[in-house]
Amino acid sequence: MSAVVRAGGAAPIERLLKRNEFYLAALIFVLCVSITAANPSFLTLANVLSFLKTSSVNGILAVGVLFVLILGGTPDVSFTAIAQVVEYLVVMATLRWGGDIPLALLGACALGTLMGSVNGFIIHYFRVTTIVVTIATLNVYYGMLYVLTGGNVIFVVHPMFKQFASLLLFPMRSANGAVYGLSLMPVMWLAVLAVGWFILRRTFLGRSIFAMGGNEVAAQRIGVNTLWTRVFVFSFVGLLSGVAAIAHTAIVLSAIPNIIVGHELEVIAAVVLGGASLFGGKGTIIGTFLGVLLFAVLKNGLVLLNFSSYWYDVTIGVAITVGITVSAYQQLRAQRSRVNVKVEPVVVP
Amino acid sequence: MTDARTGQSASAVGQNRTPSSAKRRGIPDASLYVILVGIVVLMTALNPQRFPTLSNLQSMLSQLPILAFLSIGMMISMLSGGINLAIVSTANFTGIVTALTLWALTAGHSGSATLEATALAMLVGVAACLLVGAFMGWLVAYVEVPAILATLGVTTLLDGVNVVLTRGYTISDFPDALLAIGNGVAFGVPAPFLMLLVVVVLLHFLLNRMSFGFGLYMLGSNPIAARFSNINTRAVLMGDYVLSSSFSALTAFVMMGQLNSVKANYAESYVLVAVLACFLGGVDPFGGAGRLSGMILAVIILQIISSGVNLLRVDPFFVTAMWGAIILVLIAVNHFTGRWREARRLAQMHGRGAPEGAAPPARPTAMPTEANSSSQR
Repeated sequence: MSAVVRAGGAAPIERLLKRNEFYLAALIFVLCVSITAANPSFLTLANVLSFLKTSSVNGILAVGVLFVLILGGTPDVSFTAIAQVVEYLVVMATLRWGGDIPLALLGACALGTLMGSVNGFIIHYFRVTTIVVTIATLNVYYGMLYVLTGGNVIFVVHPMFKQFASLLLFPMRSANGAVYGLSLMPVMWLAVLAVGWFILRRTFLGRSIFAMGGNEVAAQRIGVNTLWTRVFVFSFVGLLSGVAAIAHTAIVLSAIPNIIVGHELEVIAAVVLGGASLFGGKGTIIGTFLGVLLFAVLKNGLVLLNFSSYWYDVTIGVAITVGITVSAYQQLRAQRSRVNVKVEPVVVP
Repeated sequence: MTDARTGQSASAVGQNRTPSSAKRRGIPDASLYVILVGIVVLMTALNPQRFPTLSNLQSMLSQLPILAFLSIGMMISMLSGGINLAIVSTANFTGIVTALTLWALTAGHSGSATLEATALAMLVGVAACLLVGAFMGWLVAYVEVPAILATLGVTTLLDGVNVVLTRGYTISDFPDALLAIGNGVAFGVPAPFLMLLVVVVLLHFLLNRMSFGFGLYMLGSNPIAARFSNINTRAVLMGDYVLSSSFSALTAFVMMGQLNSVKANYAESYVLVAVLACFLGGVDPFGGAGRLSGMILAVIILQIISSGVNLLRVDPFFVTAMWGAIILVLIAVNHFTGRWREARRLAQMHGRGAPEGAAPPARPTAMPTEANSSSQR
């Protein structure tokens, strides 16, 4: 509940120093400075816009994961499969029947919401851990996609995706004549962040999600409808998977049936590094944004520093392990300073 | 009206936090035997020529240990209330370290390595594996990182290290001694299966007859009570992850022997199947409950399904979907049998004429205590 109850009385600087986001931002800053020192092309507007674009898919998915983590319990892992299925089906449907981007987006959201809500209902009615249910639905969705479609790669998508991808806000021309600018995928990411922030901080629904993450029984006693709150969260994850599917299609301009599945751990890790607690009731939009940004900077930096792509997983693994170790250690220290009852086991001779 | 509704759903919430006794037991062994017989009959009916044959039985017995070792490793981590998502990555890591050591010892002629060199390489592999286990144990027990996160981080890390070590290639060509672990046959029984039998007997003693096992079950069911009962919970938790990882080493050697190669991403999908086996075997993911016998039965059932479906030559992705569907069906069955058992218990209690006030609540309603939240780790 720390997101609702703010530490009062402390000086702003002191409050800032206590926040996970501050350290994350500092880490990103240090990384940016050191990568730029080694390769000045890192901190150019073109490069920043380009890696914002490529990380927008993970960024959109991360907001959904944040909601699930705040709700409490183990993370959802089925969102990649939902995005995968939605992407493939939307690409197939638009190739067959045509349509435009708003319609495709609407369809993707509807399909994603439907698939996500299934998780919510199962978890609520059968009272099982999120991870068990979502591992199951991940496999059902992903397996059925392959069985029903044969798993063929679709290399040519409807031309509207290419048009959508080439739409640029503030188009600029670089020194060598290439046009670059802010494409719409990062804009979608920002919009999703804004909606997520609004729901979490400005609505009763958001309060309910935090309350359920803090203590589900207490939340229910104060009148939170746990069924609909839970179904909303998992449907929202599905909806965002639909949005991410459209963004992904516009970036890669093809539909490969196994390209999104397998990235779930990376997204979850980004959200957790962003300060969301695995015990529920805690997490912020800005932290999630910074978590995704950290991975984007790492990935882009490794490429610019000419590391072999083999090293990417190692770096991410080290980042995750160090990140969770540090945050767990901080939590441990905070707990120790709060509780001064010492548990001394009685030594029986 | 409202009160009744709230009360009812509040108790359901309580069940979510602290699984009721019926749920803790999961699917009891008796119904597993029924499922086993049902599956054997079904597979025989679907595949009368190829399924009920001696060669199929032998091939199933030699394939079973890989799944069994991984599932047991998963179960051991779940008994403490944690989870070890790194079992497959650790197994691949062990295999790769062993293979590379062997390669270095024999200057590139691994196939003709001496027995001593092979043993030394395997020892190095086991040491690497235990080191990984100790690292995860340290993270979970001493830094108090939630197990799912700690093992997830280690998985990502190991997957990366595995690719870096092998450069993405397959390393093959192992000496006969190592191949015998995977393919040897003694008295008509595949060697890996004999190994599994020995390990299961040893593990049975460790879990059910020794203080470590007792401490582990206690730690899983209530970490605070365990600490107050003079159990060194940190040491038990640490040992738990080392033990869990040692099953990855066993898996690694059987896989090396059977496939005659190691690679960064072998058997990745087995993590899910291992979770499924634990679920089917009645292991409580919140810790403290789960029996080896149920686990073994579950593994046998899954192996029969997998072999039987394989003989039917269906799409492998259909099998992926099927694993997921089986979990969902099990969740539903578990839920409804739990409710049915609960109702019957209540009916019996009232039938015996217990006074209304004396009837204990069906399940603890509101216990979101520290014990529960920490048992989720």
